[in-house]
Amino acid sequence: MNIRKLVWLEFKQHKSQLISGLLAITLGIAVIVGIRSISVVSEKAVAVNLDNLGANILVLPQASNVDNYYSADIDSPTIPEEYVERIVSSNLEGVDNLSPKLTRRVKIGNENVVLTGILPKNEVASKPLWQKSGLLGNETKASCAPSNTANKSNGYEDEKLKRKVIDSLGTNECLVGSAIASKLKLSDGGKVEILGEKFKVTRVLTETGTIDDDRIFIHLHRAQELLKIPNQVSAIEIMGCCNAISDGLLSKLRNVLPDTKITTIGQIVSTQIQTNKMMNKVSLIFLIIIIFVGGISIGNFMWANINERRKEIGMLRMIGFNKTVIYRMILSKALVLGIIGGIVGYFLGTLAGMWLGPQLAGLPVKPIASLMGVSLAISVGVSLLGALIPSYLAGRIDPFKNMQEV
Amino acid sequence: MILKTTNLSKKYQHKDGVVNALNNVSFEVNEGDFVTITGASGSGKTTLLLSLAGLIKTTSGQIQINGFEVTTASDRKLSDFRMMHIGFVMQSFALIPYLTAIENVMLPLAISKLKKNQKYEKALDLLKLVGLENRKNHLPQELSAGQQQRVAIARALVNSPSLILADEPTGNLDPSLSTDILNLLKKINREEKITILMVTHSPLAAEFGNLKIKLSEGELENEPKGHNNKI
Repeated sequence: MNIRKLVWLEFKQHKSQLISGLLAITLGIAVIVGIRSISVVSEKAVAVNLDNLGANILVLPQASNVDNYYSADIDSPTIPEEYVERIVSSNLEGVDNLSPKLTRRVKIGNENVVLTGILPKNEVASKPLWQKSGLLGNETKASCAPSNTANKSNGYEDEKLKRKVIDSLGTNECLVGSAIASKLKLSDGGKVEILGEKFKVTRVLTETGTIDDDRIFIHLHRAQELLKIPNQVSAIEIMGCCNAISDGLLSKLRNVLPDTKITTIGQIVSTQIQTNKMMNKVSLIFLIIIIFVGGISIGNFMWANINERRKEIGMLRMIGFNKTVIYRMILSKALVLGIIGGIVGYFLGTLAGMWLGPQLAGLPVKPIASLMGVSLAISVGVSLLGALIPSYLAGRIDPFKNMQEV
Repeated sequence: MILKTTNLSKKYQHKDGVVNALNNVSFEVNEGDFVTITGASGSGKTTLLLSLAGLIKTTSGQIQINGFEVTTASDRKLSDFRMMHIGFVMQSFALIPYLTAIENVMLPLAISKLKKNQKYEKALDLLKLVGLENRKNHLPQELSAGQQQRVAIARALVNSPSLILADEPTGNLDPSLSTDILNLLKKINREEKITILMVTHSPLAAEFGNLKIKLSEGELENEPKGHNNKI
């Protein structure tokens, strides 16, 4: 016989009370887990969509035509390359990846080719400020966009993402889009003449289904030299964090570069972002509700249980159980209730998410193990909070209630 | 001497005025005494017992048990003292309904550092002492009133107390069962050398004590009668 066993035996005695006491907290946790399971998948889907579409913000000269997001930089006026450093030095939160480009249509043989100058990743080393900020050439952060694993699990080809991060690109090297490679019969290691200069094809890119399939990528500074447009770029692509975009990143960028046109693919994903925001808000509302309703429910259950056991608790106090032991007994019970509520709520919520996710959001929902910890923390926290006052009052029960007044 | 009270008083504030539940009660009890406390309803018998156990605060006076000052001790120290030195037997038995007989007996050991099997063996020995080893796995409602009181007595003994405080232990029992329980208490008093203070309104039960205290309106009606004791 010890305190743990005593608490357990008492639990077994009041099984039906236990179920009613757990109902509110379990359902509350289940709703939070269900909503969160769907919203996490939805947020990942938004991020993957953004990744597959490329950069989600474009900084263009004011006079550019932005009818087509992906061809907006072609033959557009130019802006100074120095604008990149201006963005970096502004330290805007949510700017995860910067890529300045200079793009012009050129003729190679009889074919129209979109020639794009880009900066490879190894250029970061020569620009300490950019490197310090971790912006240029870095993969999109996990907090914002999905990991490679996440991409693959969602059926996206990681190869598509690789085009955004070019590790190195020599002055006489180029990357060739799949469509133009096919037209010009180019393959890896082949040679191509661009504006009178010989370039080695380091890689033929995988088909993306966008204008990028018709592009040839060379080093930005080589492009500036060949096109005779020094220190100028047609566009700066920015991989902005999804949430940061909705938090006003665009207007902050406009403040930094007032004489440019800044556009986004936000419209495409705005509905999903709105839904995610709404689900996050609903989760928060439920969290607040569960703290109140769950806490009150547990507190009420504990108080009813203590009232029913007044003589028993009085007897325990009489035979020498001090107040601390009584608190421990009551809070242990609340702890067990919290653990059961958290676990059952997690599984109920996950099952509900897996069932409702495909129907409501059109997304396959998988169990999220980390939500188990969150569920337990909330459930145990609320349960202990609800039991605080009843345990204090239990410690104040008169021990002599068992004695016969003569 | 195991117990000494000096000018013990307890006053209650009632809407009709102050009630003197105990008034200047002084007596001494020697180790091994079987003390019976009698008196009419409202005479202060239970108040005296509760005061001795430190379960209610007295208005004035001192109580010393085994040299421990009860009236000035903190709640925690009183709890520890009760756990180590005092056993309780109540009229209502005060057994926990969802615990078996042996679990009820082991209850005071729940916060002790004894090993599980040591607790069990100790409780089983006491159930043997009260003649209920074959009922060890029975719940209280499966036992007769007399058997329940025997379990309560075993529980009172499990911490090897030096003093047992019994409040009307035969109040819920018929005469023959009452005699059994009183004989059991007497046996424990004699063989285990445990001092017993028993509140009773039964003249028969009162005869079991070697020291008799009678209370009337919170005061000692007469000098405690018996050997080796004085006011």
